[in-house]
Amino acid sequence: MSTTSSPAPAAPRSAPVYALVGNPNCGKSTLFNALTGLKQKVGNYPGVTVERKVGTAYTQHGQPLTLIDLPGAYSLAARSPDEAVTRDVLLGRRADTPTPDRIICIADATNLERNLYLVHQVLDLGRPVVLVLNMMDLAAQAGLTVRADRLSRELGIPVIPCEAAHGKGLIELKLALSRPDLPLPRHAWDIPAPLAPAVAELQASLSAHEGKGPLVARAEALLLLTDPDPVRVAGSTPLSAATTRILESWKTRWTADATDSSGMLVAARYDAIGRLAREAIVPPAAGTAANPADATLALSDRIDAVVTHPLWGWVIFAGIMAAMFLGIFTLAGIPMGWIESLMGWLGEHVSALIPPGDFHDLVIDGALAGVGGVIIFLPQILILFFFIGLLESTGYMARAAFIMDRVMSRVGLNGKSFIPLLSSYACAIPGIMAARTIEEPKDRLATILVAPFMSCSARLPVYLLLIAALVSSDEVPLGTQVGLMLLMYFLGTAGAFAFAWLFKKTLLRGAPPLMIMELPPYRLPRLRDVAWQMWERGAVFVKRAGTVILALSIVLWFLANFPKPPAASEGEPPVDALAHSYAGRAGHAIEPLIAPLGFDWRIGIGLIQSFAAREVFNSSMGVIFAVEESEDETANQSHLRDALRGAARPDGTPLFTPLVCLSLMVFYVFAMQCISTIAVVKRETAGWKWPLFQLAYMTGTAWLASFVLYQVGRALGF
Amino acid sequence: MSASLARLHPEPLPLCQLPAGESGRVRALSGETAFCQRIREMGFGERAFVTKVGGRGPFICVVNGCRLALSHDAAACILVEPTGLRS
Repeated sequence: MSTTSSPAPAAPRSAPVYALVGNPNCGKSTLFNALTGLKQKVGNYPGVTVERKVGTAYTQHGQPLTLIDLPGAYSLAARSPDEAVTRDVLLGRRADTPTPDRIICIADATNLERNLYLVHQVLDLGRPVVLVLNMMDLAAQAGLTVRADRLSRELGIPVIPCEAAHGKGLIELKLALSRPDLPLPRHAWDIPAPLAPAVAELQASLSAHEGKGPLVARAEALLLLTDPDPVRVAGSTPLSAATTRILESWKTRWTADATDSSGMLVAARYDAIGRLAREAIVPPAAGTAANPADATLALSDRIDAVVTHPLWGWVIFAGIMAAMFLGIFTLAGIPMGWIESLMGWLGEHVSALIPPGDFHDLVIDGALAGVGGVIIFLPQILILFFFIGLLESTGYMARAAFIMDRVMSRVGLNGKSFIPLLSSYACAIPGIMAARTIEEPKDRLATILVAPFMSCSARLPVYLLLIAALVSSDEVPLGTQVGLMLLMYFLGTAGAFAFAWLFKKTLLRGAPPLMIMELPPYRLPRLRDVAWQMWERGAVFVKRAGTVILALSIVLWFLANFPKPPAASEGEPPVDALAHSYAGRAGHAIEPLIAPLGFDWRIGIGLIQSFAAREVFNSSMGVIFAVEESEDETANQSHLRDALRGAARPDGTPLFTPLVCLSLMVFYVFAMQCISTIAVVKRETAGWKWPLFQLAYMTGTAWLASFVLYQVGRALGF
Repeated sequence: MSASLARLHPEPLPLCQLPAGESGRVRALSGETAFCQRIREMGFGERAFVTKVGGRGPFICVVNGCRLALSHDAAACILVEPTGLRS
């Protein structure tokens, strides 16, 4: 079809909206970061947990333009929610996002033919397109000559060769973006004859009933034929009844006469792309003609031979995981010391500023102690995100998913579910968001349901405190600490697998998923992108500490201090005042339920408060056992640890025996105690059913596990 | 691929049975429509050349210079005509 007949859209408004689209692993994020720098906003598309990135870039003439980074997609015929968002934004189906005026397509030059498939679909839309050929250096290394000029001539659009990772080609790209008169693509391809009447009819209906322009209507009509089970996501406008009826009648007809509409359309598109590719790509000279990309593959082959080896692959995987967790424990110590000093200094100065009284206590014991107790773990969280970013940017993450596929398939999931689970070690929220790349809805739900079992960074403070309280000597051997910690991580992981298996056998029974996953070539990590991602996620954590945790700390302080005991005399032990407070009453109320696990009402207060966020346990223990903010720079953490060791039951026996500490840790491994996760699961599964089910089954498991552990431990004399 | 001449019209076989290191040409896809469409869209459709690099449960294959991991069941849906060893 030819688009030259339609007039170019009017000159874009003051800040034209560009959408950035491309296949996964084509360097889209790197280009987005290079174009927008710090000027980006990360959020979510309303109703779906798909990350929405919008940034401001400047043209070569300093004109601002809005850039929307759309999720990576192989095709506009969406197979997963994130691809559905890309499709819907481009088709103007989302009310929350402006339809882009212009589109930047980014294609990996080393794998141009496959990347052109999405580009070809985008060209159908009849909007101005700028095509960026990224990784031209790697293509050259592979002996490929990609002729951008020929491609530009064939398509009638600007085609910019680029190496986003080295900042090459950016000026040319910005110059192209500043052009007020971007041409519309010259885009003609043959729709298979048996399908043409259907396309025409659907196009007419989309124009008449959905109010689409002729070209978008045609693009959407083509897409409807290859959207066998269209993924509808929240926020996307549904099709009109008339169009749906036409689509259904054609589908029925094709099923009857065995016309493979999807196969025919994809083949026709690839025929057109093949002609383009023959024009634009000069393969390497004879000799390696069988596979043009052999040169780059050779290195990846050699690495893969080891990394995906049935034995060595596992050794390397275990080594990387061990290094990651060791790094978290050893490297984080120094910056944690700095944060402690800073919080101590802050406490001291604020303390001097405010006269003694309730407000003083609120600020020092409530707000500062609460936030300080959480923010201290920022270094560990940053290190965890750094490692995950490193694994992603080198290409190892996909290999980890590959070797985990066999394990995952035992429990009825595939390797793709592994990445969300690994991310959940940092935080279940990005983990649950990462599940959006899983195509099969049942597998996605199963992954979401078990993801919070993976020990997240919010549990880390709790584990650290309890391990410190559990190991009695001051010189806690690193081996014991790490061993206990790994045990907790292992328990959570085992729980996740066990429940995934159970769900796939019962509630979410389905055929084992067919996995097809791209393994990106190994690359040296782009430290700037890794640092960027680490910064972004760290900022989310700090923001949380500054908002949710701050508010909760103040509420907790209030609940633990009010109402005041009737005759508050001097020298009364704080426990009585606490017992009289709201928090104390709530703790007492649940004591019968948690006593079989070895917990008393004071731990009960911590448990209740942890349902808001797990790391609150530490601040609430700090408030309950009245840990004074230290004047010198000794760690709060060791104060808190000493306070826990000193805590006793009414009969004088220690409260935090090793068995109680273990039982408590096991409870934290399994229990669903995070409001943010519940909110994300609710949003993701579009209702309260699954988050409430998750809350119930996880917390029930936690209770049972702690109960068994504590009772067996007691019976054995611990 | 001249190597295909060396073999006497080998029978098409599922990709999961293609020996590691060998190449083949995709002849037919089976399985659900959505899966077939996606692998066609990824350039893995009929007529594509595929080289099986290795792997025993999930397999690593190279199609058009792109490395893909396929689970055993996915590979079973792809019927290939062997064309011999990789050059």
